[in-house]
Amino acid sequence: MGIRSSYYKGLKSIIVGLASIVTFLLAWEAVFLVMNNPFFLPGPYQVFLAFIRIATLGDINHVPLALHASVSLYRVLLGFVAGAVTAIPLGLLMGMRTTVRSAVNPIIEPLRFIPPMAWIPLTILLLGLNGYIFIIWLGVFFPVLLNTIAGVRRASITLVNVAKTFGAKDLTILRKIIFPSALPEIMTGLRVGMGIGWMCLVAAELIIPSAYGLGYLIEEYFNYAQTDVVIVGMITIGLIGLAINYFMLYVEKRMFRWRVDVGT
Amino acid sequence: MWAHEAWAMGLMFVVDSLNKSFHTESGTIDVIDNLSFSVEEGQFLCIVGPSGCGKTTLLKIMCGLETPTSGNVLINGVLPNPQKQKFGVIFQEESLLPWRTVIQNVEFGQEICSGRCSLDIARKYMSLVGLVGFENYYPHQISGGMKKRVAIARALAVDPDIIMMDEPFADLDAQTRWILQKELLSVWSQLKKTVIFITHNVEEAVFLGQFVAVLTKRPATLKSLIKIDLPYPRSRLTPPFISYREKIIGMLQQEIPSI
Ligand SMILES: Nc1ncnc2c1ncn2[C@@H]1O[C@H](COP(=O)(O)OP(=O)(O)OP(=O)(O)O)[C@@H](O)[C@H]1O
Ligand SMILES: [Mg+2]
Repeated sequence: MGIRSSYYKGLKSIIVGLASIVTFLLAWEAVFLVMNNPFFLPGPYQVFLAFIRIATLGDINHVPLALHASVSLYRVLLGFVAGAVTAIPLGLLMGMRTTVRSAVNPIIEPLRFIPPMAWIPLTILLLGLNGYIFIIWLGVFFPVLLNTIAGVRRASITLVNVAKTFGAKDLTILRKIIFPSALPEIMTGLRVGMGIGWMCLVAAELIIPSAYGLGYLIEEYFNYAQTDVVIVGMITIGLIGLAINYFMLYVEKRMFRWRVDVGT
Repeated sequence: MWAHEAWAMGLMFVVDSLNKSFHTESGTIDVIDNLSFSVEEGQFLCIVGPSGCGKTTLLKIMCGLETPTSGNVLINGVLPNPQKQKFGVIFQEESLLPWRTVIQNVEFGQEICSGRCSLDIARKYMSLVGLVGFENYYPHQISGGMKKRVAIARALAVDPDIIMMDEPFADLDAQTRWILQKELLSVWSQLKKTVIFITHNVEEAVFLGQFVAVLTKRPATLKSLIKIDLPYPRSRLTPPFISYREKIIGMLQQEIPSI
């Protein structure tokens, strides 16, 4: 049973998935044929050709798709690292010390409900055209912070006591008990933050002028009324976001082999 | 205060007129009331008491996790301080680090005590408690009895001055409990460590301890300190064993309000 049936299950879900994609493309093609207006809605084949063109020959300035994607990824990575290195230590502190929590919460809580996009105008004013990092930082910071705090607070007091009875000092307890206990939550925060950061970036690129980035590509080709390239940009954004998410899930799975799996 | 004199007399572990109250929103709760007893180096003392009487609180004071409201605990003449003394504490609840393998858990105490761990020592205690072959398992992959063994090996591996155990075998089945009791006695007779063993199981206390301290219901105070004058290994079926057991059960029954 076991292996064979799970093999067939896997095969089945792949086939179902492929069928679903083909159906979607056919439906798209059908709508395209009915609308018969390539400016409003180009068909899948036209988008595919646009994809090949942008990927090989590049855009109007001969910047290929891969470079736009790399610039976007680079920006998001900078913001992501900035978000992680600020949110994780602050989250650990806030989780462990009530005083820090009471001091920081009144400032952070209201800020948390301002969408990163709402910061864009002020960012352009204050930080100029390189404000991307700040926008992404905003998107990454809060999910990582909240998850880190939650992770710390979930750490077992018994494990802390075990470390204490062996003579551990605060920093050792933080390193050997609190941090590993909170790590699954921190990783979840990082994954969610990465997703939000990616979306923030593209939004920021749509607004902040530059010659690179997937958001820029969309904006630029919208102005040229080339909707097929706009869709190429959109699909690329979606696929890269998906790839990042899968990558982070994979890392989590590898890191937390010690966790009991619920379900399969 | 006789604690310092007691230490001079060769008592390594002294509890002297200990009191502990907790202050909570719903009022003050007295948990330990004027408790005194002492243990000599190398002795095996069992502490029994009704559930909720303050045994775990006592253990936490003994290993320096809680401070007493008044009175003292002295270990070799000084207040308990895990940063200066070596304790091997085994907690009532599960206490293994779930992200570490069995062998990494055993190394954990050494890692903290001395900053480095010797794989040889870890392996030695692994084999002493019968865990060879399970080094690379994670805690969720081993049984409850094995988890207790790991906790014991971890405590022993730091070469503690004193071992303190809080109902370590309470949630195990009778067979596993008996096996672990025997193993504990054999480890104790090999290593000659001072052991303080908390339990609510009277038979276990009489089987293990050279002395049994019987506590009253909360607030805990010493009801009686009984010397168990039976050679090891003990049989649970001999008349003297049974009479010790019945005597202590009788004492505890006075502490539980009749239903
Ligand atoms: N931190 C605390 N704050 C307030 N009350 C506490 C605290 N710790 C323990 N207590 C109270 O002290 C009493 C004794 O608790 P303790 O855990 O020491 O009992 P115990 O003898 O170990 O019980 P058991 O046999 O069930 O393990 C309980 O009534 C408990 O509510
Ligand atoms: Mg207890």
